[in-house]
Amino acid sequence: MADTQTPAIAVPVRHVFAIYWRTWFAQIRSIVEYPADLWVMASAGAVWNILQFAFLAVLFANVPDVAGWGYHEMLLLSGLLSVAGGCNALFWDGAWSTGAMVIKGDIDYRITRPAPVIIQVGSSHIGMQSIGEVVFGVAMMVYGWIGAGIGFAAIPIGVLAIACAAVIQSALVTALCAVNFWIKGQASIFAFLMIELQGNAMKMPLGIFPIAVRLVAMFIVPVAFINFVPVAVVTGHMSAWWLAGIPAAVVGSVLLAAGVYRLGLRAYDSAGH
Amino acid sequence: MPILEAQALTKTFRRPDKDSGFKGAVRHLMQRKYKNYTAVDGIDLSIEAGESVAYVGPNGAGKSTTVKLLTGILRPSEGTVRVMGRDPHVERIANAHDIGVLFGQRTQLWWDLPVEESLKLLKHMYGVSDADYKRRIERFDELLDLNEFMPALARTLSLGQRMRADLACALIHDPKMVYLDEPTIGLDISVKDRLRAFLRELVNDGTTLLLTSHDLADIEEVCERIVVIDKGAVAYDGSIERLKAHYITTKAVNLYLEGAANVPELAEKFPDYEWTAGEAPSEVVVTYESNRFTTAEVLGSLTAQLSPRDLSLSEPSIEDVIRRLYAGELTK
Repeated sequence: MADTQTPAIAVPVRHVFAIYWRTWFAQIRSIVEYPADLWVMASAGAVWNILQFAFLAVLFANVPDVAGWGYHEMLLLSGLLSVAGGCNALFWDGAWSTGAMVIKGDIDYRITRPAPVIIQVGSSHIGMQSIGEVVFGVAMMVYGWIGAGIGFAAIPIGVLAIACAAVIQSALVTALCAVNFWIKGQASIFAFLMIELQGNAMKMPLGIFPIAVRLVAMFIVPVAFINFVPVAVVTGHMSAWWLAGIPAAVVGSVLLAAGVYRLGLRAYDSAGH
Repeated sequence: MPILEAQALTKTFRRPDKDSGFKGAVRHLMQRKYKNYTAVDGIDLSIEAGESVAYVGPNGAGKSTTVKLLTGILRPSEGTVRVMGRDPHVERIANAHDIGVLFGQRTQLWWDLPVEESLKLLKHMYGVSDADYKRRIERFDELLDLNEFMPALARTLSLGQRMRADLACALIHDPKMVYLDEPTIGLDISVKDRLRAFLRELVNDGTTLLLTSHDLADIEEVCERIVVIDKGAVAYDGSIERLKAHYITTKAVNLYLEGAANVPELAEKFPDYEWTAGEAPSEVVVTYESNRFTTAEVLGSLTAQLSPRDLSLSEPSIEDVIRRLYAGELTK
């Protein structure tokens, strides 16, 4: 068979995006094969966020503020964290399958294709709970934004903060899931641990924690840049200079994820020797 | 220049060293011990463009590990691999355009999508033009009846259909070097025949093929050269014809006599041949060394003196030779 294609040596960025979106849309088509799963999972995400809403409402019915943060500011914190987690599940949920893929040898075929393995894995699954998380997370943010009286001028910062939060969240999850290339387990325990810590700690103002926790959340595992820093800046709790840290956290976490994944693939030993 | 060259290729894995049972598992949790296991041990392999090579060996011999090393899935512990001059692990993306891979025990189809969607995803991934894609799909359909199940979801396919679809996935970009790891495993005889015919076409078109299989009919029908490995090392590398000529040194004649065969008496009368009782009382199997006697000589002497009611000739198969190679009865 004559061949008219010209094999590329490196994968152009545009081609990478095209592969990502085609695979992602293919997953959407897979999901609609199981409508019951779709509705149950989407509802679960929504219920979880409604509970967060209720928790904050009950809390602030009894206390006027938490370390100087009011009800609407806290809604912004929770909302942005939900949107970040939801975007991770919606656009990059496959990263959570890294451990299972390593154990079962399911990375094999992906290595033999001319596309980045991390892109193929990241787009290999969609967590449908994300629909509820994103929708209700945005609702919490909008309600909190209006209630806190932030105004329209800061909306571009809010939009940018959502995009950066989604990228940092997904990159940190990917880096921690990639640890399974070495520790060989189905569950991504380090990523779960991070999500747990975020769920418990990052819905609160960072100022209530000891300095060591603050330093870790800002500079070691920069989860603070996902929701705390942008919300603290737009609500006036932190100087606007801190916004510069957000793109730095984006770049740092993406490089970390790509680097750990690359090293993981070097250590990958498949299954069935 | 060879299309594929592996030198002193070695892969060592670290495996947990633990006792069996619950106690062993708990002890290993507290005191972790590992031992090294060499799956591929210094293999040298060179394949020229257009060759069809069977890579065979008993279970656990290191066949699949070798394929994974050659395709860049695994990184060698020692030694080097070059496929079209590239290190397949380091230059993974460039290598991926030139190779096609099928692992018979796994699928690369998207499980909940129609076969056609999986093929289209791969088309885009490999950058195959619409015209090439259409032409190749038409050809696969001619040879593999692909259109029969193109709209079906991957999870609804039979094993034979799944394998044909996976083969199309592995070849959609017209790779120069194709690795097939047990492509006929679990298939019925008619699907096997169809796949073998397809692979022969592929080889005739000039594609280089490395095939691992436990089904020796795959090997005899598709490949010209055979590499036998055992315990991670090459036990034989050469043409199938040479393997037969070199190792098949005996032939056999089944004689059906008028009455019951007296094997000790016959062995005494014809001491140059080996005599064994057949399945029926009147049947006897005469084995002779083919480099000492011609078949005509043997038949002449036997029919003249024993006047058998009937006879049949049997050639030892490649299967027997490989079985003996596995058992260590034969040496390189």
